[in-house]
Amino acid sequence: MATPETKAPSDDQTALKEIGADYAERFGFHDPETGYAYKAPKGLSEQVVRDISGYKSEPDWMREFRLKALEHFRARPTPRWGGNLAQIDWENIHYFVRASEKNSRSWDDVPDDIKKTFDRLGIPEAERKFLSGVGAQYESEVVYHQVREDLEKQGVIFMDMDSGLREHEDIVREYWATVIPPNDNKLAALNSAVWSGGSFVYVPAGVKVEMPLQAYFRINTENMGQFERTLIIAEEGADVHYVEGCTAPVYSTDSLHSAVVEIVAKPGAKVRYTTVQNWSTNVFNLVTKRAVAQEGATMEWIDCNLGSKLTMKYPSIYLLGPEAHGEILSIAFAGNGQHQDAGGKIIHGAPKTTSSIFAKSISKDGGRGTYRGLLEIAKGATEARSKVVCDALLLDEESRSDTYPTIRIDESDANVGHEASVSKIGEEQLFYLQAHGLDEEEASKMIVNGFIEPITKELPMEYAVEMNRLIELQMEGSIG
Amino acid sequence: MTSTSTDDETVVAESITVCRADELPVGAMRLIEAEGRKIGVFRCGDGELYAIEDRCSHDDGPLAEGEFDAAACTVECPRHGSLFDLRTGRPKTLPAFQPVETFEARVENGEVKLDH
Repeated sequence: MATPETKAPSDDQTALKEIGADYAERFGFHDPETGYAYKAPKGLSEQVVRDISGYKSEPDWMREFRLKALEHFRARPTPRWGGNLAQIDWENIHYFVRASEKNSRSWDDVPDDIKKTFDRLGIPEAERKFLSGVGAQYESEVVYHQVREDLEKQGVIFMDMDSGLREHEDIVREYWATVIPPNDNKLAALNSAVWSGGSFVYVPAGVKVEMPLQAYFRINTENMGQFERTLIIAEEGADVHYVEGCTAPVYSTDSLHSAVVEIVAKPGAKVRYTTVQNWSTNVFNLVTKRAVAQEGATMEWIDCNLGSKLTMKYPSIYLLGPEAHGEILSIAFAGNGQHQDAGGKIIHGAPKTTSSIFAKSISKDGGRGTYRGLLEIAKGATEARSKVVCDALLLDEESRSDTYPTIRIDESDANVGHEASVSKIGEEQLFYLQAHGLDEEEASKMIVNGFIEPITKELPMEYAVEMNRLIELQMEGSIG
Repeated sequence: MTSTSTDDETVVAESITVCRADELPVGAMRLIEAEGRKIGVFRCGDGELYAIEDRCSHDDGPLAEGEFDAAACTVECPRHGSLFDLRTGRPKTLPAFQPVETFEARVENGEVKLDH
């Protein structure tokens, strides 16, 4: 899609304009809906679930797991807290679409139209630069996946979940749904019934994966739900950083994304899970992410939520061994018509555990940012320490910010701090920056970038750049 | 019901009759109330009796009437899906992470007795 030329722009303006011009191409395109190997009819039924399982030639236990989960989904009422989920028409969604017949190991084997999509997303380049492997999810199924040879030599398993189940059924079955059981909540039940794709990561004891493992996710079929399921096991002393980037084309009708991510960090292991997410603004993004950190383990969620119509996502960490540590960094940007209901949960279930939650939300053009979090120090979790900080920035009078922090403490020697702030971009800040030669839009961007900088600096370089660009895009035209 | 004595150091368990032993076959569960507490008594696939407090350690919701898998000797919390091992009271899946209280159940003179 062409963008009209502007006259004599400055370098910065040109750069920004290029990002804007690129945006429709990168995130707004819509590949032709042809050539699907399989597309389930709309709606959810026992037959659809059986068909998905049968299509994938799954073992009996997985089929039974799915069917039981479907019962849980049906039995549970739609949540009435958080965002407005009553708008979702569960029967008007395709629950499974398969893009191509088989997974491809080499880039040359990837079908052309899919390759074009990935080229637009820049994945091969990213891979060449510093990624350990690429798993790209296209229409519910990973079609391209590569793990660098040295990782394979170390015994690291990084593959799509469907292959993981086929090739490592024993490991998958041992941990499957132990962190998030299907009856945990309605959306977890839905995912459990119709899941497809996602990543399976297994890092053996003592192995440190130097480069981030990365997977891209996107939705392309109108009205198609995407229900990926990711399971990460880090054995004792292992160290891994998993990164997911989400982009989605623009649709004319609502779409649903409901993932489940389960992570087990064994004693002394370190797992970081980074998400930079930019769903199109009609996607319902309802995700359950939960991790267990055993003795001395560290778990970190870095969660950047842009886009979507409604996001409800509260990555959680159960600190179940002494001296386990958990961190959640969360950014949410809510623009016009968007509701970002995000936050995090940390449960201290063992002595001497430590944690922190840093959440930042930005709301503009009537967008709504909500922080919803839980910090729990359970009985027996003596000498626990935690800090919760949630800051909200409102860019105009129409926008809204809510904070729902819940803190439960059952031990008297806990050390818990909680800070919350809500601020507006002040006239004085703008005036100061404008007095130093910036125009109002540049000044606002600078203030916003400064606001989120403590979190973006934790991102891998490529993602930090992407995140800043996305924020700039969101800010474009917001002033005056 | 057997009466018990209590002193400063030890608490002697009370014992109550749950039902006739043949009324609790493999795969069955009986829910009883003892001094204001509800307790579920289960007979697992191994033929043994196990009893747990009817209160999930996650959010205090009722537990014993969840799905009972006699072969695996587990019960699933109907509220959020935590799976409890009836032999130990320990959860095998989140969101519960603390054990529930267990009790001694046995057959005596053709009756199921519960110490609590």
